[in-house]
Amino acid sequence: MLKSKIAQGFSPGMLLAIFVVIQFFRPAKNQDSQQDATQDIATIYPMPDSVQHMMQLACYDCHSNHTRYPWYAEIQPVGWLLNKHVQEGRQELNFQEYGKYSFRRQRNKLKRMKEQITAGKMPLSSYTLLHPEARLTPAQKQAILTWIDSTLTKI
Amino acid sequence: MKTIIISTLALTAITFAACNNNQPATSETQHSDSTAAAHHETAPAEKTLATVKPQFTDVSPATATALKAVIDSYLQLKNGLAADDDAATAKAAEAMSAALAKVDASQLTPEQKKIYAANEEDLKEHAEHISKNTGNIEHQREHFAQMSEDIYELAKAFGGGQPLYHAHCPMYNNNKGALWLSESSEIKNPYMGAKMANCGVMEELIQ
Repeated sequence: MLKSKIAQGFSPGMLLAIFVVIQFFRPAKNQDSQQDATQDIATIYPMPDSVQHMMQLACYDCHSNHTRYPWYAEIQPVGWLLNKHVQEGRQELNFQEYGKYSFRRQRNKLKRMKEQITAGKMPLSSYTLLHPEARLTPAQKQAILTWIDSTLTKI
Repeated sequence: MKTIIISTLALTAITFAACNNNQPATSETQHSDSTAAAHHETAPAEKTLATVKPQFTDVSPATATALKAVIDSYLQLKNGLAADDDAATAKAAEAMSAALAKVDASQLTPEQKKIYAANEEDLKEHAEHISKNTGNIEHQREHFAQMSEDIYELAKAFGGGQPLYHAHCPMYNNNKGALWLSESSEIKNPYMGAKMANCGVMEELIQ
């Protein structure tokens, strides 16, 4: 609806010009060159390698300091949207800065991770749609949940 | 979005069914749930309610005032949830964020600081999330459950500036249960809202 209204006000040539111009406004990438593992959740609360690998594939694009960007992130405004998404995800929960959270916050985030995974809210379906490697099978989800449960009983 | 709505509906339906199954006919404190029954035997009436004295007797007046504002906003928030009013809940959460920003941690003794710092960051996060989730009262309640634990820790350490009742809802979160604090000994369950307002058990009185 909105798009068609906007389109009515612009000629195709103008739209093309706008499209070209916005390509020059590129958001800074979330790709920290110093991969500091000291504060990583896997360092704080050790987990099986398989779980760590799953989390890196399914969670770390939005919840760490290093995003693996797809090719279409180079096209604006897609890149802007992705960037906003990643920023929100990181602010919410950053697995590579987990050690910086207070103990209570660490524990509560674990509990909420469990809720989100159990309810099927995470990983986001809009994300897994384009990232098949981030889709978790029930067995994979269970492996993560088992790790969360055993961690919660230990801390 | 669709899945969120569907799962929320499903969850609500399950909770509702569970509540109906377990709700006793009249009593406020009695419960067919085993956890609740256990509590019921130990904490039946206000007269015999265990009383907890706050840990710190040396809280400065400025700190006491600042923390009372935090507790007050928590109680508002709790009442918002008990009334199933997500907008009022969000507003109270905003008030809590503002109240937390006014707490001057430099006024605290090292011991006090330790307890405050352990809960501060978590509380701020919950207040922010609750304020942003108008329209999603179940998510507000998820954060409220964890927020209540933080507030409970603070109230036990610093006092609430008023008598506070520690109550327990045995059925929330698939019978894992959750606590809340109240200014009144009357049960008004913030986790279940109007559909199960009287369900819950009084545990202790902090004053």
